[in-house]
Amino acid sequence: MSADIPLQPVTPPTLGAAFAGWLRKRAGVLIVFALLFLLWEYAVWIFGVKEYLLPPPSKVWVEFMKRSNTVMQGAIVTTQEIVGGYLLAVLVSIPLALAVARSRFIEESVYPVVVFLQIIPKIAIAPLFIIWLGFGFTPKLLIVFLLCFFPIVVSSVAGFKSVDPEVMDFAHTTGASGWRMFVKIRLPQALPEIFTGLKVGAALSATAAVVAEFVAADRGLGYLLQQYNGQLETPMVFAIIVLLSLIGLAVYYLVELVERLVIPWHVSQRPAGVTGI
Amino acid sequence: MTAARLSEVPRAGAAAQAAAPARAPIEIAGVSQVFRRVGQVTHALDRVDLNVAGSEFIAIVGPSGCGKSTLLKIIAGLIQRSSGSVRIAGQEVQGPYTNLGIVFQSPVLLDWRNVLDNVLVQLELRGIDPRGYQARALELLGKVGLSEFKDRMPRELSGGMRQRAAIVRALIHDPPLLMMDEPFGALDALTREQMRIDLEKLWLDRRQTALFITHGISEAVALADRVVVMTPRPGRIDRIIPIDLPRPRHKDVLASRRFTEYCDQITECFMRHGVIRY
Ligand SMILES: Nc1ncnc2c1ncn2[C@@H]1O[C@H](COP(=O)(O)OP(=O)(O)OP(=O)(O)O)[C@@H](O)[C@H]1O
Ligand SMILES: [Mg+2]
Repeated sequence: MSADIPLQPVTPPTLGAAFAGWLRKRAGVLIVFALLFLLWEYAVWIFGVKEYLLPPPSKVWVEFMKRSNTVMQGAIVTTQEIVGGYLLAVLVSIPLALAVARSRFIEESVYPVVVFLQIIPKIAIAPLFIIWLGFGFTPKLLIVFLLCFFPIVVSSVAGFKSVDPEVMDFAHTTGASGWRMFVKIRLPQALPEIFTGLKVGAALSATAAVVAEFVAADRGLGYLLQQYNGQLETPMVFAIIVLLSLIGLAVYYLVELVERLVIPWHVSQRPAGVTGI
Repeated sequence: MTAARLSEVPRAGAAAQAAAPARAPIEIAGVSQVFRRVGQVTHALDRVDLNVAGSEFIAIVGPSGCGKSTLLKIIAGLIQRSSGSVRIAGQEVQGPYTNLGIVFQSPVLLDWRNVLDNVLVQLELRGIDPRGYQARALELLGKVGLSEFKDRMPRELSGGMRQRAAIVRALIHDPPLLMMDEPFGALDALTREQMRIDLEKLWLDRRQTALFITHGISEAVALADRVVVMTPRPGRIDRIIPIDLPRPRHKDVLASRRFTEYCDQITECFMRHGVIRY
């Protein structure tokens, strides 16, 4: 096995210290972003690019501020769809994964159906949801749920099934079974893979909500995006794209934060996540 | 693998095990093991007979792949044996035997727990409140030189340190039976020597029935009441050599002529089977 590896101690950082550390570590990225925005601003100005093709960031900001109320209301709607659908996916997929991992019968009967359903392009069934459930919140919630659901199930099943046989041998010598075995052995060792799925799901969630709103909606950022696009209000299109990215990033970041708090022993032994927390 | 793990098999009644005498004698009769896989049959053990008295320290030596680990797991009820019978403290082993402490060939620590918690998980899994065992755990960790590392995570330890933590985990609940599968295999020669000395001390404290697998001939002689020498696969018991040396086995005992003679006897067994050639 491996020899001594010097490593940082695994202590969950306090939020303040974590933020200071993040700022220090991420200063480079932040500067690069700032420079890109500057470049964009001046390139548009120097080359005289038309505003409806590529508005400068300052124009995007100004337009956004003018209609920030509408946009922020849309953002709230979309965020609710994302968070609701995502949480629903988490609530359904982890117990399902556990059932698949623990029961041969479920693995051989239910799981193939789940996998098969996954092959249906979910975007293609979105219009059906509208027919069945109308314009409201529910069809969007379901589409977000559907897109996030599968990656979480797949990696959770892998997590619950990838028990180290030697660890199980040890656990069996203690006579532990059922709940104690689950809480002390199976769940903790499945968590790293579960979180992999949770992060993939989180990354998909914003896209899912926008797609759902594209299909049919009368509110939300996806709806607004189409409206502004139709009216060639390109600065607003940009504003919404940026806002959507920020929401998606925030969801992902939150999941990574939770991961860091729940499995610090695992997080600290691999390179920093995408959002660099 | 066709040899079913016994995890699915119902366990012998916990009450029956609790009533077992403090020192667990072991009777092994005609145990054979065949592993079948598609297109491949491995005869791992061939009719092994062995009786171990309560409080006896048995060392098992044998060439790599002869079935030592398999034998240990069969005795612990972790592998379903192809044939034969294993009785511990008078009870036929059917399913994982729980009244023991076990050290596997690799440390098998839980990545998500620090050293102390890895020791205490032994109790938590048994449904025993670990708080009452904190002091004992620290004492044992001290004995194996891990006091300062009790808060470290397993991956922050060297291989040898991990194995030492695993040994403490096998001792913490004070089991009447101790099984160790090459527990010092990952250690450097110096630590190995020290661990052997410490293990004898710990064992003299409690006199558990002990099964100790090793590749080290002199290590076996230094620790055991009897050394079981196994043949190459399919593993059979070649000879059982009683070691009549005073304890504790300090360095003058290990330097004695009788000690060397015992080691030579084992070496000769291996030479007869072509395990060691000159
Ligand atoms: N689960 C298994 N399935 C198939 N074959 C197995 C299995 N476990 C062990 N074997 C085979 O049984 C034989 C004995 O293995 P075992 O691990 O008991 O050897 P060992 O004496 O402990 O060796 P070492 O000293 O190298 O640890 C080997 O040939 C091995 O390939
Ligand atoms: Mg072995």
